[in-house]
Amino acid sequence: MNKLLLVSVLFIAAALMGILIGPTALNGEIFQLRLSRVILGVFAGGILAFCGGILQGLFGNPLVEPYTLGSASGAALGGSIGILLFGTINPVFAFLGSLGVGLFVYTIARIEGGLLRDRLILAGVVMSFLCSSLVMVIMVIGGRELYEILYLLMGYLGVIVDSSNRLLIATLIIVSFVLVVFLYRYSRELDIISQGLETASGLGINIQKFSIIIFFTTSLLIGFTVSIVGAIGFVGLIVPHISKLLFGPKHLNNLPASFILGATFLLIADTVSRTITVYELPVGVVTSLVGVPFFIYLYKK
Amino acid sequence: MAIEAQQITFSYVTDEVIKNVSLTIEQGEFLGIIGPNGAGKSTLLRILCGILQPRYGIVRIFDQNIKHIHSKRIAQHIGFVCQETHFSLNFLVEDIVHMGRYPYLRAFQKQSKQDHKAVDDACEAADVSQFRKRPINSLSSGERQRVVIARTLAQEPKVLLLDEPTSHLDLYHQSAIMELLKKLNGQGMSIIIVNHDLNLAGLYCQRLILMHRGELYAEGPPQSLLNRETLQEVYHTDVEIIIHPEKKIPQILLK
Repeated sequence: MNKLLLVSVLFIAAALMGILIGPTALNGEIFQLRLSRVILGVFAGGILAFCGGILQGLFGNPLVEPYTLGSASGAALGGSIGILLFGTINPVFAFLGSLGVGLFVYTIARIEGGLLRDRLILAGVVMSFLCSSLVMVIMVIGGRELYEILYLLMGYLGVIVDSSNRLLIATLIIVSFVLVVFLYRYSRELDIISQGLETASGLGINIQKFSIIIFFTTSLLIGFTVSIVGAIGFVGLIVPHISKLLFGPKHLNNLPASFILGATFLLIADTVSRTITVYELPVGVVTSLVGVPFFIYLYKK
Repeated sequence: MAIEAQQITFSYVTDEVIKNVSLTIEQGEFLGIIGPNGAGKSTLLRILCGILQPRYGIVRIFDQNIKHIHSKRIAQHIGFVCQETHFSLNFLVEDIVHMGRYPYLRAFQKQSKQDHKAVDDACEAADVSQFRKRPINSLSSGERQRVVIARTLAQEPKVLLLDEPTSHLDLYHQSAIMELLKKLNGQGMSIIIVNHDLNLAGLYCQRLILMHRGELYAEGPPQSLLNRETLQEVYHTDVEIIIHPEKKIPQILLK
């Protein structure tokens, strides 16, 4: 299994790069800053790609990504409201926004005895649009806070971790890892769902219950992620595809690979975003700039 | 009794698709459900295996109310094959057949010797052993349907439910699948099949159920059920009936 080895080596290289490369020389303080960036990068990149893989499996749709279901836009909306009220990014507001919109999407999609799964996508997309418009409204009202909201929308790993938020962030990361393991238990179900809902039902999967579990758990995870580092795009859409190209259709293999590849990809993108210009670019800009050509290359091959 | 349905009624929103249908299926039967488009055949089949829940009425499998059986437990008794499966991920045939063991496995549980044997037997029975290492989407639709049957056999069900399994297959694959079902039936498995092809249904099924506008219109062996008057009534089509020279079963010709 030398693909696995290659991926692990890439991952370690990306992590080292995240710590060693930068405009200033390495000292104790800089090391701490960069280490927390690397930890946040592994957390966010891994979770976004993992959730993308899970959701593409559940919906049998290659275009679904973590933000399709509205929870990321909800987090951005909540975060923007927080900025408008208090002037700084506040993870609690972002998380409440994500949870609120998630619940709202579920309520719209819910019908008696119908297929919840297919309605979730449309409800999620519609709510995403609504949230984006509301964020624009807040940006217009807020005026001078626009810059902070931009980072929330495009993603930023340089969150200052200090005594005021260290405990919160550490707790969110630990809870997220527990949820990831919980979701990973369903890899067999996701394999089966790729053959259609009736097949899955016939094999004993309760689709309604399964969709609810996956929807709420991924919404929580995405809410956690966006509330800390903002809505970093593209990782959750593209990395699962790359993972499937490399490791095959079995979710037992491609989900963990998605996690590691997502982390690697985000670390590389963050290093680029920190070093390519004098100003730091939002990392979400770099993920698409770097990711699209790479994906086209792999896809054509 | 393998499956028993009592006064089943089912509706999508307001339209009643199944109206007060009762039927019993004995273990070892080969039963065909026939009827015009929209008569409720496929819906009835899905209710019998618990994929759809009836609005009113009770379904029992092996004398237990289906509502009170865990869905994985149901899948250990009843296998369901749908008309055409779309494989959105390109798994190996072998991996697909292994998915038939899902009802017996917990999360992360490794497949045991018994699971592997069930898969080997299922591949052998459905005659897909030669494709085991091939990706599913490289097979023809007839071959893919046999893989789906192999996956369902890996569930080791006592009853097999099939919704028009041959409707888009050529003559060879139609007969291959029907012969396979006949063989399985000979080994004691109950077969319930929804089929549009009345001639095929007549040749293989011991008993037919004719659905019409959501109701059970008639039931009986093909010899008595497939007659000109009944078909005229239900299908609004005038037909000619001849008797199969070998099997002595009515076969229907269009006029």
